[in-house]
Amino acid sequence: MSGAPQPRIILDEGAAPAQRLDFGWEKAVAAPPAEAARWSSAGLVAGGIAVLLLGLALLEAGNFVAAQFARAAWLGAVTLAVALAGFGLVFWGIAREARGYLGLASVDRARAAHARGDAAALRRELAAWQARLPPGRARAGALEDMPMEAACALVESKVLAPIAQDAAALGRHAAMQAFAVTAISPSPALDALVFGWRGIRLVRQVAALHGFRPGIAGTLALLRRVAMDAATVAATDVAVDAMVRGLLSSRVAEHVAGEAAAGAVAARRMILLARAADEACRVIPRAR
Amino acid sequence: MDPLSLLRGVLDTAEDAARALIGRERLRLAVTGLSRAGKTVFLTSLVANLIAAGRGARTLPALSDAAGGRIRRVFVVPADTETVPRFDPEAHLAALAADPPRWPERTEDFSTLSIAVDVERRTSLGGILPERRVTLDLIDYPGEWLLDLPLLGTGFAEWSAATLARLRRGRRAEAAAAFLDFLDALPPDAPAEDALAKRGYGLYRDALRACRDTHGLRLLQPGRFLNPGPRGEAPLLWFFPLPETARGGLAALCARRYAAYLDDQRTTFLDPFFSRFHRQVVLVDVLGALHAGQEAFEDTADALAAIAGVISGANLIERLLGAAPTRVAFAATKADHVPTRARDALAALLEHLALGARGRAEASGAATAFHALAAIRCTEDAVATLEGRAFPAVRGILLNEGKGATIYPGEVPMKPPEPAFWDAAFFQMPEFRPPRLDPAGGSGVPHLGMDGLLAWLLGDAL
Ligand SMILES: Nc1nc2c(ncn2[C@@H]2O[C@H](COP(=O)(O)OP(=O)(O)O)[C@@H](O)[C@H]2O)c(=O)[nH]1
Ligand SMILES: [Mg+2]
Repeated sequence: MSGAPQPRIILDEGAAPAQRLDFGWEKAVAAPPAEAARWSSAGLVAGGIAVLLLGLALLEAGNFVAAQFARAAWLGAVTLAVALAGFGLVFWGIAREARGYLGLASVDRARAAHARGDAAALRRELAAWQARLPPGRARAGALEDMPMEAACALVESKVLAPIAQDAAALGRHAAMQAFAVTAISPSPALDALVFGWRGIRLVRQVAALHGFRPGIAGTLALLRRVAMDAATVAATDVAVDAMVRGLLSSRVAEHVAGEAAAGAVAARRMILLARAADEACRVIPRAR
Repeated sequence: MDPLSLLRGVLDTAEDAARALIGRERLRLAVTGLSRAGKTVFLTSLVANLIAAGRGARTLPALSDAAGGRIRRVFVVPADTETVPRFDPEAHLAALAADPPRWPERTEDFSTLSIAVDVERRTSLGGILPERRVTLDLIDYPGEWLLDLPLLGTGFAEWSAATLARLRRGRRAEAAAAFLDFLDALPPDAPAEDALAKRGYGLYRDALRACRDTHGLRLLQPGRFLNPGPRGEAPLLWFFPLPETARGGLAALCARRYAAYLDDQRTTFLDPFFSRFHRQVVLVDVLGALHAGQEAFEDTADALAAIAGVISGANLIERLLGAAPTRVAFAATKADHVPTRARDALAALLEHLALGARGRAEASGAATAFHALAAIRCTEDAVATLEGRAFPAVRGILLNEGKGATIYPGEVPMKPPEPAFWDAAFFQMPEFRPPRLDPAGGSGVPHLGMDGLLAWLLGDAL
């Protein structure tokens, strides 16, 4: 063969069967640790303005309190009390927002740990999450020294499945309301407004089932996630259609047959929304 | 193009446009390749690695980068009420990971699967808008059937003449000796008797099998003779090529069955599954063709060109309707059979081998590229000492024996080799055990170059 030797197979010495090759693939491709979210320039500007407003207001208030003390001790004390109360409320609000937002981030952390197969991190997240669940909700109990698959299965059946049922019930309730609104409301614009408000309330209710109490920022983040999951749910779920049909065969529907089409759409949206919100808040993804 | 398929084309194009508008594109990916080229393994690896990439693993780095890291989720689209069997990557993967491992069986039937890839939008508002979903439609099928595509435009007389001319040359003549004797003994006015037809069919089928299995030849038609599929060997298949001089009832019967066979293949296989593709991969076992000798090598090239003429060489109307693939990637599979430094040569050699096919694809306006890949990497680089000199080689575990072996695959030429090259004896590459795999496929499977191919093929669509 033009100079080069013939192809050939050279068997290893010895008769022992060899181990299969191992390229350490799992480690090589493991998801890189999530890099800290970087700030966009708009975020930097907004943050700067917030710091300026709050910081200058604090300084201003401090100066003002000091000046009042200079006038009279009682005047100073009252001013201080007012300033403390006011700023206290502001910071409390901020802290609550932050907690609500970070609570949602813990969902991402738990799911990432699950995807990586990082049992220790997942167990830690699950424990923290269970502690946050609203009182009265059944918990899966201690998950230590349990294989990851078993722990997930337990959490799924003990906690997540009942939550999903409750979420579906909330969805049905909202669907009935939405349906009723179309039947009586005078204008489509009002419909849209009511649906929007009811939808957001529904999403927050479902989040509460999962132990999240999102503030404004948290709700926005949540709505974004829900929008993503809604597509998946809509694409995969035939059960929703059956449920809507079941709902609409009730007597309410017969009375307002003319409105049934618009009502069906609204009701369907609510049921979907409840499912999508449940999907978005789950600490471990639904087994597909 | 008949009015009905034109109408269907227009409807499909409208659907594509509507889907693009709402961010729900469908991409039909044609994975073509002759039998044993590695289609089933390629699809298995593609699905496993895409799903792992959707979970954040860096299994397909070049694809992730081409998509700007915007791939958010990948999942198998749940089954609905399809009547076609489903391609089962989990079962294939489990068999590959099992101990002892098994490669997929010879594919006997169609199967399909759709993979949904959710990507964040490219715009600055991408984080807020719902994600785009690109659905990849995949199909697996017996490679032998592909060669029925070029038959569609060919009449019985024309096909018979071409096939018999080929059959009387070189290694084919040797494999088809019994069939050719039968033909020569057949009187020109042989009556339409099924005993005769069946006998001729049996001999012709055995000749095709011998050509495929012992001589590595590829341009073997019709496809269902080699791989009858789930419906088995129906009387429809009892025909065989006849010389022009045959004029009797048997000739008429064979011609009728030939036409009916093509009709059947068209309605059950080609029209539903092999029309309208957006992207195409052509998988070629280049090294296998090289090791099987000059005749097999050239036969592979002819077979590739014949298929490409049909799939990527769409006519003007079809192109305007977007029914022809816009990108056609050619890939030399099983690149783990050669050491790293020979892989570029493998891709270069493929470029020559697929010259005809490439011409057809480019004539219809598709972009083409050439790659070397291993869907499942089974070897590592090693050094073989031959005749006192060191040569780059590969080391893997042999499938059947379970023993380790170093394989020197010979020199891989960058272009069709000189005649002297072919003097060498034929070489059969052994099958390897796949490396240790996670049976659940959570982190995909080790591969070589899958990501580069997919980045080129799909990157712009994500
Ligand atoms: N080493 C190695 N062998 C492969 C690879 N892909 C396929 N093969 C081998 O090629 C054979 C045929 O592959 P298959 O996918 O069934 O071919 P198909 O007929 O085109 O579907 C398999 O049984 C394997 O032995 C690969 O990436 N690496
Ligand atoms: Mg196959």
